[in-house]
Amino acid sequence: MLVIFEGTSQVETTVRAVLADILGLGAERVAAFTDDTPLFGALPELDSMAVASVLTELEDRLGILIEDDEIDGEMLETFGALVQFAARKALV
Amino acid sequence: MTGPRFDRYDWAGGREAMLRFGPDAGPRVVAVLPLFEEANRTRAFLVAMLRALAGRGIGSILPDLPGTGESVVETRDLRLPDLRQAFAALVGTLGVPVHAVAIRSGALVDCDASLAGRWRLAPQSGGDLLRDLNRIRAASTMPDEDGFAGNSLSATLLADLQDAVPYAASRTVKLESDPRPADARYPGAPLWRRSEPGSDAALAEVLAADVAGWIATCGG
Repeated sequence: MLVIFEGTSQVETTVRAVLADILGLGAERVAAFTDDTPLFGALPELDSMAVASVLTELEDRLGILIEDDEIDGEMLETFGALVQFAARKALV
Repeated sequence: MTGPRFDRYDWAGGREAMLRFGPDAGPRVVAVLPLFEEANRTRAFLVAMLRALAGRGIGSILPDLPGTGESVVETRDLRLPDLRQAFAALVGTLGVPVHAVAIRSGALVDCDASLAGRWRLAPQSGGDLLRDLNRIRAASTMPDEDGFAGNSLSATLLADLQDAVPYAASRTVKLESDPRPADARYPGAPLWRRSEPGSDAALAEVLAADVAGWIATCGG
């Protein structure tokens, strides 16, 4: 079942901006990300240290708290998965 | 006249290095880098800010605090009270109004000093810093028991950080992307979270202007 959250587009904009700012990716490159764009393992900039920075920056910008046991490979697999995860945290 | 000069200062626990920028007369800025990894990521940026301040006629000092930078104190012997004492000792020797300019967790260090004012960029509490450190350690591919991204930190320091909060600021500045309260916001990326941070010349210039304006209004 696909759930569309109200305000998901704002969350998506924030996730895009965080990836651009933290990983130092160009604006056009990040603008071209779709739900299926692979992240962890596919973006050389996204190493394990950068994952920690991306999640912490998302916490600050969205006003959410991410527990360590919520962090897994799945949420970072694609851009869409990361947006869905962030939206679930931000919009409840 | 305004090029950086190497110098030293003494505190109760020894002698440390510092960089001086700009004129040696008039009000002085003493700048504080964040602790640990974020210090490496923001050093070039803070130096760019201090050079821009020198261009505006404001002299500044960037000290190595005990256990940071070129200090002979080992990272595992770094203690929060020592950082505060060394910073206060340096400020006490200057004999002019001193304004602290701190980035992130650098704001945890200036509480014992006698200052004309405290300016902060995106200040971070000790609790939030610990959360970052623990997450970095958890993410590390080579975990070792005491290591936080290559920093070996004592249990005493970690306990001191847990409850450390920045002393009340005179002015707090944040990036536009940070939704929390601030006196002013400027566009820019959080260099302190980037693995390849570089610097940001435009932001350094804008923040130097903010600091200079703040010093002018709070009377230097």
